[in-house]
Amino acid sequence: MAMTRIERRYAWLGLALIGPTVLVFCAVIVFPLVAAIYLSLFRIYTPTLEGAWVGLGNYAELLARGEFWQALRTTLIWTAGTLTLQMLFGIAMALVLHQSLWFRSLARSLVLFPYFVSTVVAVLVWRWLFNDLYGILNHVIMVAGVSDMPLDWLGTMPNAMVSVILVGAWKYFPFVVIAVLARLQTIPEALYEAARIDGAGPVARFFDITLPQLRDVLVVVVMLRAIWDFKEFDLIFLLTGGGPVTATQTLPLVVYKEAFSMNQMGMAAAHAVAMMAVMLVFMIVYIRRTRGGQGA
Amino acid sequence: MAGVELHRLRKEFGAFVALEGLDLRVEEGEFVALLGPSGCGKTTTLRMLAGLEFPTAGEIRIGGRVVNDLPPARRDVAMVFQSYALYPHMTVAQNIAYPLKKRGVPRAERAAAVARVAELLQLTPLLDRRPRQLSGGQQQRVALGRALVRDPQVFLLDEPLSNLDAKLRAHMRAELIELHHRLGRTMIYVTHDQLEAMTMSDRIAVLSAGRLMQFDTPGAIYDRPANRFVAGFIGTPAMNLIEGRIAAGRFTGQGLDLPLAPGLPEGPAVLGVRPEHVTIGEGAQRGRVRVVEPTGHETIVIAELPGGALVTARAPARARPAIGEVLPLGLDPDGLHLFAADEEGARIDPAR
Repeated sequence: MAMTRIERRYAWLGLALIGPTVLVFCAVIVFPLVAAIYLSLFRIYTPTLEGAWVGLGNYAELLARGEFWQALRTTLIWTAGTLTLQMLFGIAMALVLHQSLWFRSLARSLVLFPYFVSTVVAVLVWRWLFNDLYGILNHVIMVAGVSDMPLDWLGTMPNAMVSVILVGAWKYFPFVVIAVLARLQTIPEALYEAARIDGAGPVARFFDITLPQLRDVLVVVVMLRAIWDFKEFDLIFLLTGGGPVTATQTLPLVVYKEAFSMNQMGMAAAHAVAMMAVMLVFMIVYIRRTRGGQGA
Repeated sequence: MAGVELHRLRKEFGAFVALEGLDLRVEEGEFVALLGPSGCGKTTTLRMLAGLEFPTAGEIRIGGRVVNDLPPARRDVAMVFQSYALYPHMTVAQNIAYPLKKRGVPRAERAAAVARVAELLQLTPLLDRRPRQLSGGQQQRVALGRALVRDPQVFLLDEPLSNLDAKLRAHMRAELIELHHRLGRTMIYVTHDQLEAMTMSDRIAVLSAGRLMQFDTPGAIYDRPANRFVAGFIGTPAMNLIEGRIAAGRFTGQGLDLPLAPGLPEGPAVLGVRPEHVTIGEGAQRGRVRVVEPTGHETIVIAELPGGALVTARAPARARPAIGEVLPLGLDPDGLHLFAADEEGARIDPAR
């Protein structure tokens, strides 16, 4: 097909316009991804960055190690636990803040506080709260007579996992609140009025109107939060450091350990790529299932 | 089936009084339109009937029972919303069945009721669709179906046709009239469109600024408007309202001088005359033609009286008076209305 001169010019213009985006995309997404996969095929000593080709050797070793599988299990428990709580607290809080309360605008700002606080600061505060000598949590428990011994919140299992999950839920539920609240405000009031006339009580109105209307936003929020929780590093690293021993050691912590404690950059890259593969599988399944249920 | 009574119904939103003491009695099986400009309190009245708003004072009776404190579901009313308020994630069948489901009607009975209503409203082929896959008129019918399925005592309709285009509106108007005729249920219909009110209702309640202006049959409201507001609000083109005074059995003002029926009080007054009672080209008065608007089946002529006021007249379809021409102008003595010149503008009738 012969192109006219003006068609050719438009074709070039099109390329020129998307060019910058493609370049940036390659620089910040494609290059690091390819580099990570490439690194994972070498045995690399971190301080010198000198390495030898091992092919898929890192992966073979990784899959044979119990540590990877244990960390994967821990990661899944942490993600499922904290994500569930984030969603429950988030939706509940959004519903409360959607009501016309006199302190609503103040409460709407305050609820974002945990999300805005830097993780380092938040974790230091929580470590104080959990502290067995000075911590307010143990103080309350002992004064209330629930226990006569201070609880070791971060040093034993399952306490450490529970604590990490709770702090994670506290830190990230405001994200769910923002997204859900924004959607709640766009649900037409007439739908609720129609449902009231049709005989639906408050519970029926929640399940028959609110929840179906929130569905789309919840699909996106669950997906984003699942990705972010799966690769959460700083909160867990600062709170328990993966301990006691390796009980709360999630995959990102293993990546860090391999890269900077064991000085095995190649092995760290292999873990990171494996993580990505696991996440990819989950996301494909999730997107398929949430799409399937949605008619029209 | 039941009538509806409103007794001194009052609604305030903070300092704003939406409705000041409305008294209204709707008979069983009657089709009543609440008509008025926006902000007149008609929708507020309907929402109080539905139980979506609670009155500040006064009483609402449905079928003789005071329902002031009953929640919407226990009033046995159905409402059709201006926006239709269809549940977007449910199919047409699920939408229509929803009120029955929430009342614990068994599945088989529900299906039968939905099938019956769908048949009535010609929705049968659409039962598996979702609202967003329907046209405006179809959505409208689904909203009606959801109201019909439960066979309530009273139907409340909040501007149900205002989101449809003109052609579809005329069609749905006819469908609603037929539906009311067939069901014989009490229907209360809120609209700002006088054509809808005039064509569909048994009686019209005209509201303005939270007060009832007139409650009567469409014919009576058109022929004997109770005050200046109703006179000017009902009828297109609007009734001519000419300021002047009554003295010695004659109305004078704006260059008009008309004999009146005997027994009218003297003093300032407003003369009302509908465009169809004004003739151009013959008569004892005079006017200068300002605007000529041929519409096809008639021609609207706007003429200026010697006093400066404009008078609208309906002329025959082919009449083409020249603009600027001074023509004789006649006012049909049987088509004259007189109103007080004060704020209320109440109708003045000859003393008998």
